[in-house]
Amino acid sequence: MAEQQTFRMRITFAKQGRLALLSHLEVARAIERAVRRAQLPFAVSQGFSPHMKIAFGAALPVGVGGTHEMVDLQLLRYVRPEEALLALQKESVPDLMVKECVYIEPKAPAASAAFPLSTYRALLSAAPAQLPVPEQVHIIRKKKEKVLDVADFLVGEMLLEGASLTFTLEQKPTGSLRPDKLLAACLDQVNVPDDQEQEVPLAFLVDNAWTQSIEPPADDQPLRVLSMTRIDQRAK
Amino acid sequence: MTDLWPRLEPLLASAERPARYLNHEFGCVYKPEAGFRFCMMYPDTYELGQANQALRILVNVVNAVDGMVAERAFLPAAEFCDTMRAEGLPLFSIESCAPVAEFDAIGITLSHELVATNVLEALDLAGIPLHAQDRGEDDLFVIGGGPCSFNPEPYAPFFDIFNIGEGEEALPECLQAIRRLRAEGACRADILRAIARMDGFYVPSLYRWRDEEQAQQAGSWIEPVEEGLPTHIQKRVFEGFAESPGWEPCIVPFTEVVQDRLNVEVLRGCARGCRFCQAGMMYRPVRERSADNIVNSVVCGLAQTGYDEVSLTSLSSTDHSQIADVLTRLNEQFQGKGVRISVPSQRLDSFGVDMAGLVAGQKKGGLTFAPEAGTQRLRDVINKQVTEDDLFGAVDAAFGAGWRRCKLYFMIGLPTETDDDIKGIASLVQRAYDRAKKAVPVEQRGNIRMSVSCALFVPKAQTPFQWDGQIAPEEALRRVSLLRRSVKYRAIDVHWHDPSTSFVEAVMSRGGRAAAAWVESAWRHGARFDAWTEHFNEQAWRDAAEEVGLDPAAVAQTSYDTGYVMPWEHISTGVSTRFLAHERKKAAAEKTTPDCTFERCAACGACPGLGIDNQLAQPRIAGGSNARPQQAGEEGAAAAVVAEQAVNGQPATGPQTAEEGE
Repeated sequence: MAEQQTFRMRITFAKQGRLALLSHLEVARAIERAVRRAQLPFAVSQGFSPHMKIAFGAALPVGVGGTHEMVDLQLLRYVRPEEALLALQKESVPDLMVKECVYIEPKAPAASAAFPLSTYRALLSAAPAQLPVPEQVHIIRKKKEKVLDVADFLVGEMLLEGASLTFTLEQKPTGSLRPDKLLAACLDQVNVPDDQEQEVPLAFLVDNAWTQSIEPPADDQPLRVLSMTRIDQRAK
Repeated sequence: MTDLWPRLEPLLASAERPARYLNHEFGCVYKPEAGFRFCMMYPDTYELGQANQALRILVNVVNAVDGMVAERAFLPAAEFCDTMRAEGLPLFSIESCAPVAEFDAIGITLSHELVATNVLEALDLAGIPLHAQDRGEDDLFVIGGGPCSFNPEPYAPFFDIFNIGEGEEALPECLQAIRRLRAEGACRADILRAIARMDGFYVPSLYRWRDEEQAQQAGSWIEPVEEGLPTHIQKRVFEGFAESPGWEPCIVPFTEVVQDRLNVEVLRGCARGCRFCQAGMMYRPVRERSADNIVNSVVCGLAQTGYDEVSLTSLSSTDHSQIADVLTRLNEQFQGKGVRISVPSQRLDSFGVDMAGLVAGQKKGGLTFAPEAGTQRLRDVINKQVTEDDLFGAVDAAFGAGWRRCKLYFMIGLPTETDDDIKGIASLVQRAYDRAKKAVPVEQRGNIRMSVSCALFVPKAQTPFQWDGQIAPEEALRRVSLLRRSVKYRAIDVHWHDPSTSFVEAVMSRGGRAAAAWVESAWRHGARFDAWTEHFNEQAWRDAAEEVGLDPAAVAQTSYDTGYVMPWEHISTGVSTRFLAHERKKAAAEKTTPDCTFERCAACGACPGLGIDNQLAQPRIAGGSNARPQQAGEEGAAAAVVAEQAVNGQPATGPQTAEEGE
């Protein structure tokens, strides 16, 4: 059967507020349902279990929001982008709101591959004087430990401005470093478990010359991440 | 209302699947201005509760009342319950993230026998006094309902009010009465006295519990503490069901729930009359929504929710008189839209398979049949009107049409069961396997999968088998191992449910008010989430029995004569105790009783008692072994065909709902 001509629409949406706590699958399901509710003429795959032809951009971890998240949808007929946008916005919840609809070339790279560079901004519970970056991050996944070199993924410096931290990670074909894992590793160096004596952690001393400048966060509360958002995705 | 979100949010970073604690789902109703606030709680996690249809229906009917709001609440996952306790965070509602204790009333649906300890876990987490008698003027009203309220006694001390039967009209009436009486300045006790006099409500604190001897003499276990209280509480029926639209607003969850699809209830009630089945007695009479209503409801529901799957729910959807028409029309409507239609059904015959085939498309997973018993003798005893030929006809049709997997459900420990009946299961399944092989091309025979799943018979209140004791768990295991030895084909898998949970179910199903102390003690010993295999704590229930001096084995396992007055005699489904006793006698004589929606009235008492008749969209025509003479040529009839995914979410089957997720 000849492949039907379709129109490829790239939908940009925001994942914010408490809905930053949704998983990638949960977001995907919610967007797909919004597309159905909006009655857009979406294409359906042929075969054993037919489903909507929709492809999501790079996944965000649970707890991380995004201002410009992307999804590519194939439509069976042309719908004016502003019409599609209105219909989708009407069927979206405020914290998972569609912001833009544009058509892209049929052969344009997929949203998941076109933008390997992601910039994140985290808001911390206090403003530390410094936040050392560990050389390695240990990831435990399915009971296997993996060690990732931060330098392989981190593009440029981590920029600390008051309680706000901005950094860019590159997604590699072989894998990626999750921003929440990187930040957790950063904070682990600063926060000492209750049962250990309050002294400057070893990793921190090795990596940095200006250890004395760290101020303990207020009220002896451990430093934590209040929110994290992907603020940009771009090509290399 | 207090907003707990600022305190909840920091805890969610480490919670598993935090999406179940958020609000903001599509379709949520917010009515911050409402003066009267009701919270509908499902005593298990969001994934199970959000799929519950009672919750959806009751939230909608209360929200439809001016000045009233209904929010939802669920029990957090076990570990998160502990986190919340450690942080001093009380149980919260989903919509407003408000403490449940700040509402005016809470409704708790008792969907199966293993939720009892979760009710206590929820009340405790909410900071609501566990016992109705300890609640004061400022405390909310705790209202129970659902299947287990047909024997409310094991839960009685924890509830202020039980709503017996269907709640579409009853619940708003009850809440409006509370609101009106409060406004008039009535005290809590007076409000309860007034509600106890309304149709379909039971206020257990207004009845003294008799001892066994008194109860048998008086013909009832309860004695009103004052004049003018009803001594016989009959269930409420939503008379407008058949005409009411099958579509009503529903919330679309973010996180995946057990039945993550649109549910359209196509009919209510089932009159097949299986003698072990509580649902079959509880939801009479049978009421069908019309084909037009159903098709419109599906179209409208899918458009408004964005779901890509719809389930036509009921106790026996393929019994609907217009089911073929409905499925054909839906197939046409959704051609090429990537929409799946599933039909949970209770019908085992080639018609059932045809219906499953209509909606299966190219993807044929597995089919589930429930013959329930292995020999014709025992199937006659339980009134499961299915013959071997019905089963074989269904197997021929299913495997001939392309299905390659089939699951067969049986019960172990049914009244009068002998070892021959157990061996009969093995024989029946092996012969069904042989039939399946014949129906499949030689080169595909390796793909045939057949499995047997057995559950221990639980004597249910309000059924003809309510007087029959359950067999002991050790005996159940002996019969299971006899079955395993008797199944000679290695291609047939045998699965069984843990009899120790079925034992707790039987005690909860048959217990009187004394069982409540046992539940409370078990909860204090750490029992909760009993329907979850990984949480079921048998030792806690044992320790509790010792502590409160209850003999649970006697409650579960004693068989009585049909003259014995059971602890739920004062609660009525409309079906008369006389009919139940008569059915029990016919069971002993191995005589069957036909389904009154196909044949003559069986005089169960429900229609005259409740003042409403069966409402069918058009006359039903039976086939197969149940056919009337003029239809004798047709193939197959009565029993159970269930499209496989539907089985996972069958209502009121506790353990299965929690565990299975294939």
